[in-house]
Amino acid sequence: MSRMQREERAPVARYRWLAAWRDRVLLPLVGILLVAIVWQAVVMLYRLPLVVLPEPWAVVRTLAGLLPTVAFWRDVGVSLYEFAAGYATGVVLGVAVGLLLGESRTFRLTASPVIEALRFIVPFAWIPLTVLWFGTSYTGKIVLVAYAVFFVMTVSTTRSIMQVDPTLTRIGTMLGMGRMALALFVHLRAAAPAIASAARAAAAVGWIAVVAAEYIGASAGLGVMITNAATSLQTPTVIAGMIAMGLIGATVSAVVGWLARTRLDYR
Amino acid sequence: MSGAALAFEDISHHYGAGPDRVDVLVHVTFDVPAGTVACVVGPSGCGKSTLLSLAAGLARPSAGAVRWDGREVKLGPNFDLGMAFQQPGLFPWLTVRQNVAIGLRTRGKAKAEALATADEFLGTVGLSEFLDAYPSQLSGGMAQRVGIARALALRPRLLLMDEPFAAVDAFTRIKLQQELKALLRRYAPTVVFVTHDVSEAIVLGDVIVVMSQRPAGVQRIIPVTREDRDRSSASYARKLAEALACLGVTSGMGGE
Repeated sequence: MSRMQREERAPVARYRWLAAWRDRVLLPLVGILLVAIVWQAVVMLYRLPLVVLPEPWAVVRTLAGLLPTVAFWRDVGVSLYEFAAGYATGVVLGVAVGLLLGESRTFRLTASPVIEALRFIVPFAWIPLTVLWFGTSYTGKIVLVAYAVFFVMTVSTTRSIMQVDPTLTRIGTMLGMGRMALALFVHLRAAAPAIASAARAAAAVGWIAVVAAEYIGASAGLGVMITNAATSLQTPTVIAGMIAMGLIGATVSAVVGWLARTRLDYR
Repeated sequence: MSGAALAFEDISHHYGAGPDRVDVLVHVTFDVPAGTVACVVGPSGCGKSTLLSLAAGLARPSAGAVRWDGREVKLGPNFDLGMAFQQPGLFPWLTVRQNVAIGLRTRGKAKAEALATADEFLGTVGLSEFLDAYPSQLSGGMAQRVGIARALALRPRLLLMDEPFAAVDAFTRIKLQQELKALLRRYAPTVVFVTHDVSEAIVLGDVIVVMSQRPAGVQRIIPVTREDRDRSSASYARKLAEALACLGVTSGMGGE
């Protein structure tokens, strides 16, 4: 590369780095800062006491104080464990049932009324029953998360299996594949990007379900931490817990999205 | 290569029922002798692709029977069969060589053997440089070559081709026709080749089966000789005029 070419290219590379820094760091920070400014203004304008709405800085200090404590990470660990177990169960069962619904007209006609009725019962409606059946153990929360995730995955999988390009089915048949091979190696694989998108949406639903379930019936977890803080009017801890919940949820969603994009999305 | 032949015996086929019934094929009868190429031409929507689906066992005729090797074709996989379509239908999540190898794996070949065969056939269609490419990285003509390699790699005794060159440009089409001719000479399967292009049918076929408007029957079967295939010859022009006249089109060549 000639010197002239290097000189022409250098500024372009520098601007590209700057543009990436602006998009990934600066603009998101501006967004967070704007929310903090509005929040601070509301507190100052209405002279709100700490117990009603603390200043952003007080919440940041509280969150920084929570981070080194064992109790905080134990609660995070419990919530993550309940989420992971329920999410994995819900995804596996949801994809399996969705595949069956997509492949078999008989099974679809038989199971659809039950599934349609159940999927409109929000997971939180089951909380009293899960407390009754499983107490405040992890199992109840795992079941609730699996339930919430199951329907998102079932509906999306069924729909995407039924929308697979029929040419791929004809090709598979021509290549000598039977019904089972077509379902597993052609239809499921072709539907994988759509199923992966659903898995990301289901992660958000599952995370919301686990924390919501902890609000009502649990002995540990982020929901319990927030409820306990609210009972003793520690509003900064409540909001710090909520922020932690949001950050962890966003991280879980990003990890699931990354796995889906790199492992399943062939587009 | 083999004694097998494909026979369409008084095939009729319809979709729907009652007032929604659409008759597609009526009393279609013709044979394709082993190792020959029958090119099926006809107006759009006359049921050419349906004919292939029936031969492939992807659908059952409403009446009549399709026989392959003397046995009635049933629904389901046929291990003697290879097919190529207008859209190559490559699996987008597999590389080029995996796309060709997958049919061989389905037929019980070991992975290494299947990949070696895939490499060989991809070399035959000039794609040795693109073994590890994904379908999204190929041009239309290249994707179509992969589709043909995939069908031929199965070493099918019966090859069904549904307008495989319809979606590529004129230059690529002529090139692919030449390549296919060479491959068919080498592997000599029995072929049914559906096309809109009468000149393509003359260049590739041993016979041209001209279908009528829907509900379609066989209007005429035109034999094609080696001399007819030379695009610069008078006999090619006469054959073209004859086939076009069957389809109700005047070529303006006057048989010259």
